[in-house]
Amino acid sequence: MALLYGYLFPVIYLGAFWVLYRYEKVPLLHHMGELLTVSVLGGACFGLPTAMVSERERGVWRRYRLAPVGSWAVVLSTIVARYFIVLSAGVLQLAIALAIGMTAPEHPWALALVFSVVSFAFIGLGLVIAMLADSVPAVQALGQCLFLPMLIIGGVAVPLASLPPWAQHVSAFFPGRYAVEALQACVSGRGWGETRFDLVALGLIGAAGCVTGAKLFRWESGQRFRATASKLWLVPTLAVWFVVGWLAESRGRIVIKPAPATTAESPATPLAPNPATSVPVTPPPAAPSATQPAPTVIAGSPAPVPPVVSGPPKQRWELLTEADIASLDYNVPPDSAVVTPIASADDIPDDVTDRLLANLEDALLKWPPGLVEDPVQRVLNLMAVAGVPDLVQNPVERFVPIIVQRHLETLYPKDKLVRILTWIALHPNDGVMIEDVSELGLEGVGSGDLVRERVYYYAIKFVARLTGRKAG
Amino acid sequence: MSAHVVVRQLSKRYGVVDALREVSFEIQQGEIFGLLGPNGAGKTTALECLVGLREPDTGEIVIGETDVRRAPAEARQRIGVALQSTALQDKITPREALALFGSFYREREAPGVLLERFALLDKADAPFDSLSGGQKQRLALALAFVNRPHLVLLDEPTTGLDPHARRELHHEIIRMKQEGYTVLLTTHYLEEAEQLCDRIAILHEGRVIAMGAPRELIAGSSTLQTVTLVASRPIAEERLRGLPGLESLRCDGTTAYFRTGSTSSTLTALLRLLDEQHVEVIDLQVRKATLEDVFLDLTRGTAMEKPAELTR
Repeated sequence: MALLYGYLFPVIYLGAFWVLYRYEKVPLLHHMGELLTVSVLGGACFGLPTAMVSERERGVWRRYRLAPVGSWAVVLSTIVARYFIVLSAGVLQLAIALAIGMTAPEHPWALALVFSVVSFAFIGLGLVIAMLADSVPAVQALGQCLFLPMLIIGGVAVPLASLPPWAQHVSAFFPGRYAVEALQACVSGRGWGETRFDLVALGLIGAAGCVTGAKLFRWESGQRFRATASKLWLVPTLAVWFVVGWLAESRGRIVIKPAPATTAESPATPLAPNPATSVPVTPPPAAPSATQPAPTVIAGSPAPVPPVVSGPPKQRWELLTEADIASLDYNVPPDSAVVTPIASADDIPDDVTDRLLANLEDALLKWPPGLVEDPVQRVLNLMAVAGVPDLVQNPVERFVPIIVQRHLETLYPKDKLVRILTWIALHPNDGVMIEDVSELGLEGVGSGDLVRERVYYYAIKFVARLTGRKAG
Repeated sequence: MSAHVVVRQLSKRYGVVDALREVSFEIQQGEIFGLLGPNGAGKTTALECLVGLREPDTGEIVIGETDVRRAPAEARQRIGVALQSTALQDKITPREALALFGSFYREREAPGVLLERFALLDKADAPFDSLSGGQKQRLALALAFVNRPHLVLLDEPTTGLDPHARRELHHEIIRMKQEGYTVLLTTHYLEEAEQLCDRIAILHEGRVIAMGAPRELIAGSSTLQTVTLVASRPIAEERLRGLPGLESLRCDGTTAYFRTGSTSSTLTALLRLLDEQHVEVIDLQVRKATLEDVFLDLTRGTAMEKPAELTR
């Protein structure tokens, strides 16, 4: 049992996540928070109470009770033993993820620390379950009551951003989301410095669980929970959960925040060129150098200029040939996938979505980043309008690309648009990427690199649509 | 260190049920003391109070110089307990279990010594779930000795064991006595109690209704002896009825059964009668009362009026 819940379960989850997010560039990097949380959750909410209750049922503890050991020793040793089981399961998960190509966590020591706090929180929870349940089947039932809601609406297995607001508020009262946030920040964010609230929340939940678990401790299964005098100790646990949720709510932490990494990054200024990008998006006009084959300059367009500092000159989008367009990798996620979906013609938006999309269409006309001079940056900015909702699993994500494509087609003739999009797909790391499109009525903030990836796919999909190719 | 046990006026109530009612007994150093009684008589409650697992409502328990109610943890340091069935984690081995439990006590016996003594060397490193019932029980006994106890409590140690394992355990308990341990055991088996215990106390409905050495209890009991007679030809029942001290007579052709409180006078009269009638005796058996008879008589409630006579 312990083996099943402790190791098999996390590995199965890892496999499932890998399949689900197979189009992401670095496998699982942005899902380790969720995966490790599932691992701890399985070990603590099922493994721990199952082991404890079955030992109690078989009378194992009865024998220990005859020795001069206190209940605290049994509870403490159980916690420590379970911590090592959970830790080894987490390490196994991490090892598998690294083996299939994930990059190493950015803050390994912080990750170890946060993992321990997360384990503590869930082990406290498991202890309470073990003390509430009179039998192993009761553990299963109680465990599921915590496990499934946490997985589905608690921000563990389903991204919070794709949940309705009420569910996001409910999630504030489950420890799952804090665990995911804190762990993810250590894997691909800024480390534990930005997770202080999460750590405090998890620590409180864990401490309340451990104290209550110890107070409700029963040596023998003959002592039914119903007959336990100290069951009022449940109140503090529930109170701590409530306080944590309330604090999170009052601090405004319950807004959609899909990628913990973004909070730490300085918001990008879409209009200013980013010095970190390899090619200036709006290069200063300059004469082609003599050593360079003179490109056929399309009249009216700025002259293509190689970066002054580096290697061979990059071609501007006007110069792209049909061969370049054909060379794109059209093997992108299908329109029905989780990543970069596009609604099919028979997918009719409901009234609310319809109004939102109509507003979006109007807003796009006046949106400053959609009016910048450089065509590549302009299209890039507009593509982010499709990319960000997809990334944060905004419920309207599949309709937005249709609006964006329609808007782009009003701005440029098809031929030009295809070349700009092809340029973007061929230079996915160029330009400045917008991360926040909330002023267009689309909630959610995505991290730049991830938005780039989505924009890359959408660019190829748009090219395919405009040129009658098949994508996906 | 003395292991003289004194229990005085112990009472425990669960709701409306009196589990123990002013139970008192003493166990001398080096004695094997048996606590007998039907299910629900209060044996387990008494034992649990002794180990400090249960807090009695009133009464006093002193083991050696330790007041159990005041210092239960201290008392546990010196008590070894083997429960009726001991469960441990499935994968723990006898060697590990003995080392682990040893670590809970100030004084401890080396696992190797106990493994040898309780014939567990072969299975020293086998997981607990692979041990047989007898081996598990031997491990339970070994665990009871892990702290070099002054007092050993055995709760129905032979229940569920096959005759072979039970015999082994009896030898083990006799050996404990020889080594000077003080032992308190509870049991359902009267024969076992008769064979092993120096003294016993019979508990019934939370009260001690009889206490003493098994032989004294039998001798002192009013329980009648049973006589079975097989004659050469049928005997007239009316004739037998006149015999002195006769009770519950039953005739079945040539066979007669009866009980008597005065065996010799009844038998003398019987033999004279048969001789007068020229009836030959084919078979004559006199069975003395066993502890079981005493126990059944006492706990059936018929003897409830007589405890004063038996209790010392």
